[in-house]
Amino acid sequence: MIQEKLVENDVSRRGFLRLVGGVGTSFVLGSFTTVACARGNVAEVATADPGEKKEDKATAFVPNGYLKIEQDGTVTVTVFKSEMGQGVRTSLALLVAEDLDADWQKVAVVQAPGGGEPVGGQGTGGSSSVRTTYKQMREVGASARMMLVAAAAKQWGVEASACKTDAGKVIGPNGKTLTYGELAAPAMLIAIPDAGSVALKPKDEFKILGKGKSRLDNPNIVTGKAMYGLDIKVPGMKYAVIARPPNFGAKVASFDESAAKVVPGVKQVFQMGSGVAVIADNTWASIKGREALKIKWTDGPHMDVSSDSIHKALLAELVDHKPMPEGAKVVEATFDLPFIAHATMEPMNAVADVQADKCEIWAGCQTPDSGRDQVAQKVNLPRDSVKVNVCLLGGGFGRRLFTEYMVEAAEISQKAKCPIKLLWTREDDMKNDHYRSMSHSSFKGAVDASGNPVGWSHQCIRAEGGNGKFGRAGIPYKIDGASMLVGGVSTPVSTGPWRSVEHTQFDVVNECFIDELAHAAGQDPFEFRKKNMGDKRLLLVLETVAKNSGWGTPMPKGYGRGIACFAGYGTYAAHVVEVKVTGDTIKVTRVVAAIDPGIAVNPKGIESQMQSGCSDALSLGLRAAITVDNGAIVQNSWDDYNWLTLDAMPKFELTIIEGSDDPGGMGEPAFPSVQPALANAIFAATGKRVRKFPIQVSELV
Amino acid sequence: MALYHLHVNGKDHAVEAVADMPLLWALRDLLDLTGTKYGCGIGACGACTVLINGKAQRSCQVEVGSVGKQKVTTIEGLSADGNHPLQKAWIEHDVPACGYCQTGQIMSAAALLAEKSNPTDKDIDDAYVAHICRCGTYDRIREAVKACAKGAKA
Repeated sequence: MIQEKLVENDVSRRGFLRLVGGVGTSFVLGSFTTVACARGNVAEVATADPGEKKEDKATAFVPNGYLKIEQDGTVTVTVFKSEMGQGVRTSLALLVAEDLDADWQKVAVVQAPGGGEPVGGQGTGGSSSVRTTYKQMREVGASARMMLVAAAAKQWGVEASACKTDAGKVIGPNGKTLTYGELAAPAMLIAIPDAGSVALKPKDEFKILGKGKSRLDNPNIVTGKAMYGLDIKVPGMKYAVIARPPNFGAKVASFDESAAKVVPGVKQVFQMGSGVAVIADNTWASIKGREALKIKWTDGPHMDVSSDSIHKALLAELVDHKPMPEGAKVVEATFDLPFIAHATMEPMNAVADVQADKCEIWAGCQTPDSGRDQVAQKVNLPRDSVKVNVCLLGGGFGRRLFTEYMVEAAEISQKAKCPIKLLWTREDDMKNDHYRSMSHSSFKGAVDASGNPVGWSHQCIRAEGGNGKFGRAGIPYKIDGASMLVGGVSTPVSTGPWRSVEHTQFDVVNECFIDELAHAAGQDPFEFRKKNMGDKRLLLVLETVAKNSGWGTPMPKGYGRGIACFAGYGTYAAHVVEVKVTGDTIKVTRVVAAIDPGIAVNPKGIESQMQSGCSDALSLGLRAAITVDNGAIVQNSWDDYNWLTLDAMPKFELTIIEGSDDPGGMGEPAFPSVQPALANAIFAATGKRVRKFPIQVSELV
Repeated sequence: MALYHLHVNGKDHAVEAVADMPLLWALRDLLDLTGTKYGCGIGACGACTVLINGKAQRSCQVEVGSVGKQKVTTIEGLSADGNHPLQKAWIEHDVPACGYCQTGQIMSAAALLAEKSNPTDKDIDDAYVAHICRCGTYDRIREAVKACAKGAKA
């Protein structure tokens, strides 16, 4: 393992404001003007959804690449972001529909394939979709509305300013109405308004935003019609799985395909980059063929790597904490977090059809654009000859930012000379993820005689697997000289972003340790946070959960209440978790949450994300972990990656506070404050501290 | 390989398969009924749940050779037009997030309500053992099931 240089980050209050408060809602209006308002790029951005009916474009109103209004009044928004359960297809359509004054019942979405250059980019991650396109999507709607109004005014011979709009209709001064569908063709003759002349609705006139709309994808999902990558079938397609290395860096020494080739339905077996591919007439035959393969593997160079060896390596990187102020009461603590898998409900998969001069991919992915580049490179075709169709994602959580499964499918298709559906079985998926890294945090802090926090030193050492070192650190409390050291050791375990990314580590343990400082100061953990809080919006959500949870009211023996908060991605969150600890059993009885996401674009979506963040955090807090032994991942499937089930989901109560008119992100901020609130609740119930996640009563100290 | 006559969603389908092919893959790959999802293949997640003679079964654990004349119902056969009360409740309560597991969740709910028209919270817990939603939609699943209970307010 190679030592990497420790990086020091200043996390004083100023640092926090700089690092957390400054999260970007920036965008370039110029790029909106050229992209969104340019006509003629519809063919490039319209969906390639198989079976989509061909529209007569001359009769539809297509003001730009994001929007189409047909003569029957159907409003179709082209969405460039990937839908993985965060509701982005609905949220972005809501933004367009509000300023268009559309009839929400007539709004539909189509998914753009990879390769466009849309506002906000095409990658989906970092809770950025709404944040980075909020104004532009609304301007798409507003500018189209202006054109529809102008078309109606022209037809009636009245001033545009004398017309109103409502629910997909223009209403003239004489009471006459024309529907957007009726205006579709004439509106195409209206000049595109200058970006500067496009005004957005004031918030108090919103009819759609902030009202809470059900997801547009729901009807397809509940009838089984929704198409995920694994549901795609193209003519002539065969099915493939790959026999993958049993440990990190293992190589194929030799293989005997004879038994595999006689499995009914198996068509081809060949070695490829990731292992040995088995191609068959159906999925089951490919799986059975893989089972029948006899492969001799050469063990990789990491057979001695285990969770224990990595833990020792993390500890070896620790340095002395800086001295605490003299005379202060010093508190020390450590926290260990394991690797965690994304384990999306739909495992990795892709359909690829590589031909001599072109390639087409169907897959759920968060980065269709860079995925297209990787595929193009692999099959040696120009990127413009590769088309990536973005399907619904059966979960993302950061996993599908990586697109190696698309590249593998393309590689196999090229070699097999037919379209291929590549499946990563659950076991493949569990053992070959880009995991949230394992980490060890060491804290030293201090409080003075008056109970003020006067020292904060946090070292977090992570097992880095090579895919990005995410390190936005900060605490929201006013502690002079607060500092953080972030270090890493290289391991063969591939790591990558997992929902909330570094905040799953830094903020989770920060909020555990601030609780310990409060205890050392002899103060209530909520009051202590409140007294030292450096952020008004965060303070408000914190106060809200305290109030709503009945913070401070007595609880029966064995019960406890914990509190924690988080700011990031332009959003502010706080949680109170209530637990009951009986013997070795921890039961979460209630979770009270408050969130300030700025303007609440879709409150139903916000609630869904908050429940999801809670479920994730309780899973990782109490049950699920990835471990390493003998140079390989130990866990196989859902039977040993022990995710939260329905019976364990607590009562969840949410309050949404709109603290500004700019929307914050939602996917990531739902997570970080749940786990520390849980750990703090367990302390309140038992008097013992959590030092290791997932939490076990026997390991409390 | 043998020819099996499966009775799926009220229709007879002939499929040519090996006897041990899980019903899951016969439905998905041979009959193009892709509403039934693969999640683990070991009966640990519930994404592939279908009804067999009205009982919730993990289709990844049922060999196609063992199905015989039993009646298989998948999400595509739950209603003709997507208007089954559970499907309506799932939309109304905005249950899906990524949605991948939801067809299995709905089929489990259908089996539960067929057996117990007024399920208690404990009944719902028990019906959803080893049933994973990776997006944590559990609160809304519970709400939607209760909304379809016999005693629920319309």
